[in-house]
Amino acid sequence: MTFPIYNYPKSQEVFKRAFKVIPSGIYGHQGPSEGCYIPHDAFPLFSSRAMGSHFWDLDGNDYIDYMCGYGPNVLGYRDPDVDDAALEQSKKEDCVTIPSSIMVDFAELLVDTVACADWAFFAKNGNDVTSLAVITARAATHRKKIVFFNSYYHGVSPWTQKLDYPGILEEEVCNNLYVNFNDYPALQKLFAEHKGEIAGLIAQPYMHGNFADNFFPDEGYWQKVRKLCDDHHVVLIIDDVRAGFRLDLAGSDHYFGFKADLICFCKALANGYNVSALCGNDSLKDVVSSLTYTGSYWMSAVPFAAGIACINKMKVLNTPKLFEKLGKDLTDGFVAAAKNNDFQLVVSGAPSLFYLRLADDDSLMLHQQWIAACVKRGIFLTSHHNHFINAALTHEDIKKSIEIAEDAFNALRHHSTSLSFNYHL
Amino acid sequence: MLTQTDSKTLAYVNLFAVLGTLENLCELVPEAKDLLKDKPPISIGFTVKHGPKATLFFVDSCCHIEEGCSPCTIKLPFSSCEKFNGLMTGTVTPIPSKGFTKISFLLKTFVPLTDMLAKYLKPSQEDLANVAFRETSTKLTLYTAASAIAQVGNQDQSGKFSSGLMPDGDIAIDVTDVMGITLKIKDHHLTALRKPCDKPRAAMTFSNLEIARQLLNGEASAMACICNGSIAMRGMINMIDNMNRILDRVGQYLSV
Repeated sequence: MTFPIYNYPKSQEVFKRAFKVIPSGIYGHQGPSEGCYIPHDAFPLFSSRAMGSHFWDLDGNDYIDYMCGYGPNVLGYRDPDVDDAALEQSKKEDCVTIPSSIMVDFAELLVDTVACADWAFFAKNGNDVTSLAVITARAATHRKKIVFFNSYYHGVSPWTQKLDYPGILEEEVCNNLYVNFNDYPALQKLFAEHKGEIAGLIAQPYMHGNFADNFFPDEGYWQKVRKLCDDHHVVLIIDDVRAGFRLDLAGSDHYFGFKADLICFCKALANGYNVSALCGNDSLKDVVSSLTYTGSYWMSAVPFAAGIACINKMKVLNTPKLFEKLGKDLTDGFVAAAKNNDFQLVVSGAPSLFYLRLADDDSLMLHQQWIAACVKRGIFLTSHHNHFINAALTHEDIKKSIEIAEDAFNALRHHSTSLSFNYHL
Repeated sequence: MLTQTDSKTLAYVNLFAVLGTLENLCELVPEAKDLLKDKPPISIGFTVKHGPKATLFFVDSCCHIEEGCSPCTIKLPFSSCEKFNGLMTGTVTPIPSKGFTKISFLLKTFVPLTDMLAKYLKPSQEDLANVAFRETSTKLTLYTAASAIAQVGNQDQSGKFSSGLMPDGDIAIDVTDVMGITLKIKDHHLTALRKPCDKPRAAMTFSNLEIARQLLNGEASAMACICNGSIAMRGMINMIDNMNRILDRVGQYLSV
């Protein structure tokens, strides 16, 4: 089955306007540079509407979307239950001088849902709460250093960036310590070398980094890390911004059988409504109380209403189980489509957050060609990042996605014999 | 982001990247070739205490640079990286330890060659108005910058942080239909080859020389150029990303 090839004249026209008035035209991970639009003109640049598991670009092209806004779309775009709850709340109030009591309802729901949570603090972006977690760890321990696992991503604040990033001072990252995930002896050694200096260890629940196969913790790894943190009085912070609620509604630490001291949520918290949360155990509640940390929109009521509706619906649907099945069906189909065309597609990470890589060349160039061919036929994938499943994804969507993937593999097979890397398949 | 440069890295950049670009000058600029015409083979060795060592060979109107300086006709020793860097800014006059009878080559050929190189690497607005000069200037600047990426990636604190995150493989730095440079990465050690890449694991391609000139002069941002398509990237993007972080740092050294 062959699919029509998309073009993006309207997107490109608007981009010309954008480039004049916005840095890079579209900055950040949703733009051509950090979004790895390879080749540049194979990807749509602006969307016009979204519904369920689909979005439509400015030229009217329809995509089955496996990036889900890079995570926030967990129930489907414009989910009626979430949108109705948000609409009802907006009729009453949103951003007011004092908070709505719905904030308390939302905090109670999180405490009841998330295994390690005794309290919840709300902000807007994942970066707000990863930063709060690190400040909390330092305030609680009166220590400076933070341990990171190599290939981490915890946001964009200076402390999350690196020595060689423009605008980031050496002094802002000089207390960062780096170690490889799953290398417990190296972590032990690091803790010993910096005994009494480490405030916190911040980590994603498993390695879902970019440009590399994603991988899980070794058996018993997290339990050993938990004990090591306890022995050294180090605050264990789980950054569940990306994986949160897609593996386990009680938190990804619960999924892997341990308890974090602090856990950060954002993306899947309110199905696209703008809220993030830091949850933690009782011992750190008063520490957070002592901090100066707030924001103009952090107590807006509408996202709280959306969050409550979102979590309750995820519970009813048992989304982690649903995502596991949908992700597996989809990626099994992709792998078979690759095999039918003599390619080897490697799927890694959790099925709900699957990462793809064509193993037939080690440069990712072939993979980038295939991704571009998929996008130009109507499934939005990326070549560098894990993907996301949402609850509105239908079996028809999956079937069509696999057919598009097969068509793209077929085109790749016919064009790749010369390895001339013509990306326009 | 470090705000200071270090003199050792600067010495490596000055020797391998800046003086190393005499190779390309002699290839691209007829006046440079003419200066070497009918001259017997000669080599100048630079040895910098606690710093780089390299030899420039001038043979058959061509120039090439090699690491180390044992077989050289003229030897120029420097007691420190700062002294060698002083040579490049004109504040230090070198005294040969070998090759006194060849001093006329230093004065009448090598100095004019380096003056010519400086003219192309630090061009005046007036010279840039000439299209041919502008193109050659950009090519030579790109060769210098690429070679400096290797030196900064191997020597500088921030550069080593970036190269420490780069997997093995070759990066192609190309200007479409004009030129190509190879940056090899092996065990986080970088080597620049002033020739196109045969089998890149990653590629950064300028759509034309003018875009390369703007990027190297700091008039354009790599991220913005990637966004508008005037620079294309493909392959292992983390290699390109880290290379561009080193390139940012190179700007600090080349502007010293």
